Amino acid sequence: MKHTIIIAQRVLAQLKGDRRFLALSIVGPLIIIYFLKLLLDTFPPMVNVKSFTIPFCAFIVHFLSFILCAILLVQERTRGTLERMMIGGFSKTSIIGGYSLGYFGLATVQVIAVLSESIWLFKLSYDIQTVALMFMVIWLLAIVSVMLGIFISTFAKQEAHVLPFIPIIILPSVFLTGLIIPPGGLPVWAQILGKCLPLHYAVNIINEIIKAEYSVSAILVDFGILTGYIFVLLVLASLTLKETE
Amino acid sequence: MNAIEIVGLSKTYGKIVALNNMSLVVPEGTIYGLVGPNGSGKTTLIKALVGSLRPNSGYVQVLGLDPLKDKWQLRKQIGYMPQSPALYDDLSARDNILFFGKAQNVPDLHRKVDEILLFAELTPRANDLVRTFSGGMKKRVSLCCTLIHNPRIIFLDEPTAAVDPNLKMQSWILFRKLAQNGVTIFVSTHQMDEVLLCDRVTILRNGEILAVDTPQNILKLGKSRLKISVNDEERTAVIDSNPNDLASELQKFGLDKNITSVELQSDNIEDIILSIVHEKEKEGRS
Repeated sequence: MKHTIIIAQRVLAQLKGDRRFLALSIVGPLIIIYFLKLLLDTFPPMVNVKSFTIPFCAFIVHFLSFILCAILLVQERTRGTLERMMIGGFSKTSIIGGYSLGYFGLATVQVIAVLSESIWLFKLSYDIQTVALMFMVIWLLAIVSVMLGIFISTFAKQEAHVLPFIPIIILPSVFLTGLIIPPGGLPVWAQILGKCLPLHYAVNIINEIIKAEYSVSAILVDFGILTGYIFVLLVLASLTLKETE
Repeated sequence: MNAIEIVGLSKTYGKIVALNNMSLVVPEGTIYGLVGPNGSGKTTLIKALVGSLRPNSGYVQVLGLDPLKDKWQLRKQIGYMPQSPALYDDLSARDNILFFGKAQNVPDLHRKVDEILLFAELTPRANDLVRTFSGGMKKRVSLCCTLIHNPRIIFLDEPTAAVDPNLKMQSWILFRKLAQNGVTIFVSTHQMDEVLLCDRVTILRNGEILAVDTPQNILKLGKSRLKISVNDEERTAVIDSNPNDLASELQKFGLDKNITSVELQSDNIEDIILSIVHEKEKEGRS
């Protein structure tokens, strides 16, 4: 556990030292949400644009957390620091744990910033319980994205190798998870594929909790599946992160 | 006691043979040099010894431990400096050293970091981000990270490349001091002047050991070229680096008054190592 905390502290200190990265992680999503506002303002009045806002926030956090974490971990490999950490006495588990813990901090700031801006910009009026649930679901999705980033990074030898995973993993989320339209009208195979993507469960929860009346039991299963993703990806990342060539 | 024992070590990457049935022994407390052209297997061998590479076959023991099976026990006792600086550019020099020191639970770490920064002449830049450093300075920080936990055996992959001559000399003085205190230094280098500072040297080519000896004995393999000008006509004789051979060669001329100059050109360590490598390449081709 001590090693996990040492790595998490190092990740946070590194993020603090890399201002461009920090700007991309925090300011980037805020700008994208502003662009979303500009786009949604062009929609005819009969379209309930508010229903798109929070799911899109979740998607932006999901995408950025995944890509930034994967690239940073690939950088560790290409620069030789990952190998040095392992030979220097850090275990695989502490490296994955430390990275996740470090990113939890960043994800927390990201989610707070994105949610606050959306509520203010789109003049959303949700009670505190709903906002807290929104925070929790996007935060969980950010952690899933970090785990996914760690897992995917094991298949990339250079930063550029991460890019092909964007159309494979992230872009299908836009079309198949209910982010734009409910997936019920899609072919069955596409619905099944959509259910394999973590964003599906986050969007399900958000769409449920923004209803005037929602039942907690309806979202519990989706919360459970989202949490399950964290553990499955943690195990996969541990199995695929290689200590030896 | 031997610090390193290798028997029949082989590693291939597809059709490329990186290490070919390599065997060698490194006594504890020695400075052991690895020399050879690019792609000769120096880095691969070091990676196999520190446990970051799984060989195809062979037996390796470092300080009596298997680098893969006993990795946790071994990693506390070894220091590894890779060829690239392998540092965090967005952290300061101090934070980089602290990070790797914490991994090894070094007692009184902050004092030790101050001491090692002083040795590496990095104290004035200790709190600057590594990304602002030159290549040589990064190498110095990397060396500090390697030494911070007082390892019993140190693996250095071209540690002084791009380091200025003054610090290079100081680093080798430190290596010698560490060796005198029983620390084993296993170092790969391209710089032939450093070969002479090792206790024992292995010359590698294409994953094979071409020669293992002391630098002094390797020097003896060198030839000298005696150039004698008689009435402005130059004659060259190739002799062994032995004073008796030189004398007998000169006796042929009786030191005639017409001998206007005598020039002796001896092979340096670089010439000798290159000739060993070329000779083996010729043998391989024929």
